[in-house]
Formats: sequence, C-alpha cells, structure tokens
Amino acid sequence: MTIYLAIVAALLSITLVVGPVAAQGKPELTVALSSFSTEVLDPVLGGHIVKYYLSLMFDYLVGTTPDGLPSKDGGLATRWEPSQDHRRWTFHLRKGVKFHTGEEVTSEDVKWSLQRAIGKRSTTGYAGPLRTLIQDIETPAPDRVVIVTKEPTLIIPTYLSRSLSTEGMVLPKKYIEANGDDVFARKPVGSGPYRFVEQVTGSHIKLTAVDSHWRIGAPKYKTVTFKLVPEETTRIALLRRGEVDIADVSRDRVAELEREGFPIHMRKEEAILTMWWILPRDGMPTKDRRVREALNLAVDRGELAQSIFAGKADPAFIPMGLSWSYRDFGFKLTPEMQYPYDPARAKKLLAEAGYGGGFSMDVYAYQLPGLPEGKAFAEAMTGYWQKIGVQTKLIPVDYPAFRKNWFDRKTPGAMGYYNIANRDWIGTYALIEKMAYSKSKASDVVNDPEIDGMLEQVLRQTDKDKIGVLMRNVYTRLRSEHYGVPVVYLHSPYAASKTLGKWNIGTVMYDFFIDELASSK
Amino acid sequence: MPAEPTVPGALAEPFPAFGAAQLGRRGRRLPVVSLAIIGVFVLVALFAGALSPADPEAQSLRARFSPPVWDARGTWKHVLGTDRLGRDLLARVIWGARVSLTAGVLTVLLASAFGGAVGLVAGYYRGRVDAVLMRLTDATMSFPVILLALILAVTVGPSFANVVIAIAVILWARYARVVRGQVLTLMELDFIVQARIAGASAWRIITRHLLPNTLNTLVVLITLQIGYVIIVEASLSFLGAGIPPPTPAWGSMIAEGRDFVTSAWWVSFFPGLAILLVVLAFNLLGDWLRDTLDPKLRQL
Amino acid sequence: MIRFVLARLVQSLVALAILTVVVFVLARATGDPLQLILPMSASEEDYANARQYLGLDRPYVEQYFSFVGRALTGDFGNSLRARRPVVELIRDRLPNSLKLAAFAMTASLLMAFPLGVIAAVHKGTAIDRAAQVIAVLGQSLPTFWVAIVLIEVVAGRLQWLPAAGIDGFASYVLPGFTLGWFVVAGMMRLLRSSMLEVLDTEYVKLARVKGVVERRVVWLHELKNALITVVTFAGIYFSILVTTAIVVETVFAWPGLGRLAYEAITSRDFPVIQAVVLTTAAIVALVNLSVDCLYAFIDPRIRYAG
Repeated sequence: MTIYLAIVAALLSITLVVGPVAAQGKPELTVALSSFSTEVLDPVLGGHIVKYYLSLMFDYLVGTTPDGLPSKDGGLATRWEPSQDHRRWTFHLRKGVKFHTGEEVTSEDVKWSLQRAIGKRSTTGYAGPLRTLIQDIETPAPDRVVIVTKEPTLIIPTYLSRSLSTEGMVLPKKYIEANGDDVFARKPVGSGPYRFVEQVTGSHIKLTAVDSHWRIGAPKYKTVTFKLVPEETTRIALLRRGEVDIADVSRDRVAELEREGFPIHMRKEEAILTMWWILPRDGMPTKDRRVREALNLAVDRGELAQSIFAGKADPAFIPMGLSWSYRDFGFKLTPEMQYPYDPARAKKLLAEAGYGGGFSMDVYAYQLPGLPEGKAFAEAMTGYWQKIGVQTKLIPVDYPAFRKNWFDRKTPGAMGYYNIANRDWIGTYALIEKMAYSKSKASDVVNDPEIDGMLEQVLRQTDKDKIGVLMRNVYTRLRSEHYGVPVVYLHSPYAASKTLGKWNIGTVMYDFFIDELASSK
Repeated sequence: MPAEPTVPGALAEPFPAFGAAQLGRRGRRLPVVSLAIIGVFVLVALFAGALSPADPEAQSLRARFSPPVWDARGTWKHVLGTDRLGRDLLARVIWGARVSLTAGVLTVLLASAFGGAVGLVAGYYRGRVDAVLMRLTDATMSFPVILLALILAVTVGPSFANVVIAIAVILWARYARVVRGQVLTLMELDFIVQARIAGASAWRIITRHLLPNTLNTLVVLITLQIGYVIIVEASLSFLGAGIPPPTPAWGSMIAEGRDFVTSAWWVSFFPGLAILLVVLAFNLLGDWLRDTLDPKLRQL
Repeated sequence: MIRFVLARLVQSLVALAILTVVVFVLARATGDPLQLILPMSASEEDYANARQYLGLDRPYVEQYFSFVGRALTGDFGNSLRARRPVVELIRDRLPNSLKLAAFAMTASLLMAFPLGVIAAVHKGTAIDRAAQVIAVLGQSLPTFWVAIVLIEVVAGRLQWLPAAGIDGFASYVLPGFTLGWFVVAGMMRLLRSSMLEVLDTEYVKLARVKGVVERRVVWLHELKNALITVVTFAGIYFSILVTTAIVVETVFAWPGLGRLAYEAITSRDFPVIQAVVLTTAAIVALVNLSVDCLYAFIDPRIRYAG
C-alpha cells in the first residue's frame, strides 16, 4: 500500500513541478487555428486556401495594405504601370532583397515563380484565368519584369497581389531547381520576414524572425508558431492559460470571452453565407422564378442573424453578393432589393407556380472552416421552408462529398452553401466568373446567357467605370432572377490575449497581417 | 444440484443459474436498481409519443438555449430547457431513448446472432472451416470500429442504418471468438462425444447441446455491449459520423452541446445523464449476470 | 511451443492480407481526393493531368498489386494531401500515439489497482458495490465529453494542467487519464476476480493458518498471482487504447495516429487511410499474438486447442 501511494505521489509531483513552460523573455507569438486547410508549405502545389503563415515566409510581387488596397510599400514591386494598350504590365522591383538562403531576389525569380504558379500542376485559386490571359513574361533587367497578356486587362496587379491567392508569391528559382519540389515543400525558403523552422504535421508550424526586413524592420516577435487545434473548448482553454495569443473562436462564445476581458477582433462581413441550387434546373420546381423567390421570402434573416449567429451577422440580399466590392462598382442596395420575411406571400407564389401542395427538396448540411454553425444553420433553413409546405430533407455530408455532387450534377435541385470570403472588385469578378458563368461548367450555379454576356465583356475592359456598369447589372440580375438564397454576412471573431496590444487584423481573405503586428516601423 | 463442471462456463443443462442455490452460493441480490433503470428507459422508449411534451424536431429560434425551469429565465414550457435550435430538450431526451436504445439493441443482436453462428460453426467443424473463419474473425477484430464508421459516413453519408451496420460488422468478431472458445471445450465433454458417436446430426448437436450452453456467455456479453454501442455512437456523432440531425439521439445531442458545457450546460448534461444511467445500469446488470452465471468469464 | 508461436504468426499474417484487400476497396470508395486538392477553376484537362501524375488512372487491380508490392518493402506511397511519403507521416505520429497509450495504461492500472483489490477483499459488501460502480463509471460516459469537461474546468478555469499538444510530462496527464478511464472497469474486474480466485487457494489459507499478519497476506501473496493475469490481458486493452484514441487526440490536439486517420478519411487521402488502418491492425494483431502466446505459455491446455 505504501509503495502504491509513493508511486502516485511521485507522479503527481513530477506533473505539478515540471509544469508547462512559462512565458519566456523573448517575445513569442502563438496562434491557434481550427484548421490549416493544407499542410504543404509550397504555395503553388499545396492546394492552398489560407495564407496566414505563407504571407510571413514569402514576399508578394504586389503588396497590399491591411484593407486590401494595392500598396507600393508592401510588395517587391515599388511601382508598376501598364502600356498604352494595357497589354504590357511593367513592374519595377525593389533592390537588395534577399532570400533566406542569402541569394538576391531578381526578375528571374519573379518570372520563374509566376510560370510555376500558372503551370499545369499548380493548385492555386486563379491559375486557370491567369494561364489563359498571360502570353509571355519578359525580364529586361534584374529589377524589371514585364508581363505580356493576350488581351488588354486591368486585373494583373491585383491577381498577383496579396489580396487574392498565392500566385504573386516570389519563390527562389535556384533553390527549388537545385533541391526539387519535395524538399522545398518540407523546408521552404522565401524572402519574407519570417523563416521556416519546423513543422509537425497535425500539430504546428514554427517560424523564426530574420534580423531585419524591408517590410517591417526588426520583427518584434522572435518566433511565430501556428498551432492546429480543432476543438474550440481546447483553443479557448489555451487562450485562458496564456499559451496562445490569438485564436479563432465561434460567434457563440464571443459573449463569454468578452465578459472575461479578452479583446475580440471582429472582421466585419468577412464572408457571405449564400445558398444555391445544383444545376440543371430543367424539370425542377426551381426552374420557375416564383419558386425561387418564394424560398427567399420564407427565410427570416433577421432572426437567423440574431439567434444562430449570435448577432454577429447581418442579413444579405444579393446572391453571391460580395459587399466589399459594392463600393468599387458603385452598387447600391435599394430597399426593394431587401427580401422581407413574408411566408404568406411565399406560399401564394408557390401556389401561383403550381406548387400549392409543396414539393420536396434536399438540403445538404455540413460544417465549414469559419462556419461551425453549418449544420445548425442548414437545419434552421429547413425549418423555415417546411413552414411554407416545402418538404425539405436534410442530407448531412462533409464538404468534399457535397462538392462532388455539386460538380457532377448528380442531384439537381438540391441546395448547398458556402461562406464565401468577401473581397474587392477584382476578386469579386474572379468569384462571379467561377460561379455565375456557364463556361465555368462544373462550378456554375446560374446558367444565364445574359450574365454570361456581361461577364465576357468585363474581362476585356480596361475602363473601370465600364466594368462598374457591367458588374452592377450582373448583381441586379442575380437578385431579380433570384439565382440563389443569400442569407447573411458573417462577422468573424478572433480572440486575442489581453497583452497582445494593438492589432489591425485587416480585411484580406485568409490573411492576418501578423507581419504588421510584428512590425517595428 | 448439477455436478461441478470441470470446464468454465459449461453446464449440462442450460440456465440453471437462477436457482436459489446458485444465488446463495455466489450471487448477490438481484440488481434491482439497474433493472429498474433499464425498465424505466425501455418504457420511455416504447411510449415516447405519449410521454413527450412536444415535437422533438420543432424549432423555435427565438427560444434557443432557454435554461431549465428552475433557472430564473426558465419556463414551464420547456422543463429541461432548449437546445441551439430552440427544440425542447425533454422531448428530445425522451425520443432519444427510443433512437439510442434501438440502435444499441439492434446492433448487439445483429452482431451476436452472426458472431454466435460463426463461432458455433467454427468450433464444431474445426479443421479448415475453423481456420478460414478464424482468419476472417481476426481480420475483422483488428479493424478499428470508429474508422470504419467514419469511412462509411464519408462514402454514403451518415445515417442510423450506417451506424448500426458499421458497428455490428466489427462487433460480431468478438462473439465469434468467445463462442468458439467455449464450443471447443464443450466438444470434449462426454455427453457431446457420445451424441456424435450416436450419430446425431451437426444441426442437432449445435442447436440442442452447444447453443444452450453458450447462451450464458452470450447473454452476459450482449448486456455488457449494449452500453458500449451507445457510447460508440456518441463518439461517432462527435466525429460527424453518428446518427444525423434532426433525429434526436443522445450521442449527437451531447456532441451538439459540447461547446457550451459551462454556459448552456443543460444541452449536453441531460442526454449525458441519460446515457450515464442507462449504460451504468446495463454494465452493472452485465456484471451481475456474469458473476452469477460464472465468474470465471472474467475475460469478458 | 515454438510450433504454436509460428502457427499463430502465420494466422496473423493471413488476417492482415485479407485486410489489405478490404482496406484498399474501402479507401477508394470514399471518393475523389482531387476534388479537394485542385481548385474550383480546374478544367477537365487539369483533372486528367493530376490523375495521371498521381497514378490514379490505372486499373484498380493494377493499383492494388502495386500497393501491396510496395507495402511489403515498406513503401506506402505518398500522401495525396501532404505530398510526402506516408511512412514519414506515420513515423512522426505513431510514437505519440504509443506514448499516450502507454501513459493511459499506467493511469488505468493505477486507478484500477486499489479499486480491484479493495473490492475483492471486501467482497459482497457495500464497499465492493461502490468500487464496482466507480470503475464502471468510466465506461458509461462518452470519452469526448469527459475530455471537454476536463479541458474546460481543469485546464481552462483552474489552469492546473495543459490543454493541448505535447509539451512536457504534464501534457500527458489529461489526455492519458481520459483515455485510460475508459478501460479502468475492465482492468478492475480482472484484478478483482483474479484476487478472488487466489484468495480461495490453499496457499493463502495455509498462510492464514500459520498466522501471518492479514495485511501482508493480502498484499504480498495474492498480488503476484493477480498481476500475471492482469499483464496478459493488459495487451488487449492496449490495443483498445490505440484504436480508440482518435477522439482524445482530436480534443487534445494530440498529433497521433488516430487524428491522422481522421484527417486522411475526410480528405479522401487513400494512401494514408490504407497505411494507417494496416498499421493499427498490425499493432492489434501483434499484441493479440503476444497475449495468446503468453497465455499459452502459462496454460498449456490452450496450445493444443487450435
């Protein structure tokens, strides 16, 4: 018995004495995330969405401010200009920028990186459109790159900037050619303010600061660690224990954290939660415009925003309407566009369309990163539609399974949804082109020849005002034809430790601007 | 009083265990509390429709996360409070009894029927039949239950049927092994050897002599495993592969409420309490059965 | 004895072989991993290219034999998601799972031990019942819920212990306890019934007659024999721990094998799914084999039972 007690006592004391590592003298930043999307550190071959850690390791050709506006201070290009016909874009590069291996960044690296990013094996978000657009890349001098496009266009600087995806990241040509893609993926080398140290898949990614960087001077944090912590209670416990400085949290728990005094950085309207029907519409009740309108009128967006989204959401009324672009396009939401909550009228419309007895509709239910309420939300929607006589069936899946059904069009008429990240006008065009353009085939959810025509013109436009007109018309038509059920704009909360200090989290999708946080400029 | 057997678990007649002499010798009193708990929940499951105060799937978003009636903000409309979609928790716990208990019982019956059959056949025929069956059993036993259920959920989507199938498909192997072990030793017993010499058919021997003597073991294992299945369903719900919404099942209810353990504690607490009581009752009942029928079955 | 061991070894290998087919079919049935790897804008041609590059366009039978052939040399291919050899991923994660399982076993033994012994010694009394209820409690609550409550209360509010990840000895405690609690009931039952058996033997009766002090009788003589039984069955519980750790690993952000399997299944990463299931199965098979051999060593009747 005494032996037993002795063993237990010994173990307990080891536990409590050799406790967790206390805060060090050197400032370290730790970020806890619910998902990493992928753990391949190659910006081009990794199937990426999030850029939190990539933006620290690599520099972009074109930088942006935290609000997503192109900035001459944040990227390798100190200035850029188009030719008269908008088919040749010249970028002037900063001098003296070095990769973590010590080699200088030249126009050769920019050219090579871009070719790789739009190459066949690339998995970046906008490789396709860039591939069709770019004709040639010239390097007249070590500090100058010229991108030649097949058609006149305005989109090149934005597509190669920090505000969209990773095509603009500049990678070390010599290092990758010498060591191969696999080694690069495991030991990435860039020119950003933080260098790769180690990665434990499924656990964390650790970066360490370079001595001084042209973007931010001497970084304030010696190391930045990104931890993968899928369970929310655990992330919050880590925050409370002071083991992480930043954690993404769900909207439901913001109130609790605010009561305890944790600063919450809210990204307003970070995404639009919008639903759509899988094509084709032929033979489906949703072919009739009135049915689509009825399904929209049956939803009490205000109630949803206050309840399921804990008040951290605002009603949305334009399908796929990315509100950050409204300002750029000069689009204004009129009162008529705002769907009222009117189930009576919805039932009338259904009867008019010949569906007074209702019809059956499948609704897929799944979680998404940034949308932990996914399944509850889908259930709530089915509740609204059942009240107007639509027999909805909830089909729980995970997102990849839904996506397959969506692209394969095996289940026409079924509804799915996504929290589409909000973005500026060029990003918006890119998204609308994917989802509302019938030539995008699988991902199209609209199939409207008028919208097709308008989108085709945008790509060729170089006059921003004309683009504005076209896109305003696209939005108006999306709304008037009810090509989807827009639900809410989601505000995304990020909890910080009480000692973090001032931080502008920015409005660029999938990026935290941690380099700004670490900046000593 | 039957002769003391030389082999664990084997008795010449089935079910002698409930004789007073047996109870006096090694059993304890009937586990009244466990039986009562199980009885109550079975009744609740059977009469869910009559007992439930509300439709378990009726949503009311404005009433979401209402606390139970004894809290300051609680109302008698929702005695145990509501969940994240405003659905009445008492109704869901009551209907959940039907779903969870059915899942547990169905899975275990399927697994034991199939597994028992395999074990009987393997033990009786031995030789090559036994070898093949046992390799299949081994292969099955080493496949992780949770992973199979996840794969099924991801492939054909989560559903009640998938949960039952996924668990039963792995669980039977346990029964097969245990029953086979028993049968092997039973086959050495005099009365069985004599029956074979006398020319009794395989069917007759299996059903009249082997099966009754393995029933004790099967009963104990079944009782102990019902609780296990209910718990596994809960873990599957947590991973997204359990009985899908909006069906009220205790496991998925706990999973849904897990982010609110200290705020809206009732959402996870009441279904958790239900699972705790039911599984505890089945486990204690199973323990008692095993102790009464044969304590040497300690490997169960 | 040697013949027995060899026979059992062959049997285990056959079982594993059967599993390779099952696992191959199941993994591929989960869906198309390219949906997740390629961006939305990928064209048909992009899909065809990727499929060819990853070897997914060959006939299934050919893929199966290629898989088995390489697996025998220890090459499980590359993870479709992580673009790294699967063996590396497993090599990184398996030790974490094993360490956690070992800790959980220890925790479980430490908890089961006093419960089992006390219950056996006070057999039939209220103390016996109480100990049984406490032990069974661990099997009567869903693991993830216990884990989350512990994290919220012990790690988050009281801040006594770490909540996630592997960071020193203290970080093993909560996940290890949560994992181990599930098998305490089984262990405790074993200990109790082993001790009950031994308490009845002549040996102990003799010791009592000789007048050896009761406490020494209880702890010294009975323990040794009870432990033998426990050790043989500890193996079975170890494999239970390894295969059910996925929930604990998820909640505690523990980078182990279970979590790897979960990520692989949700991203349809077949090479990893196959490799992880086979690895887990191999561990279970190995443990079962060892337990059977140990048991056969102790009880010779079993060797000849087939």
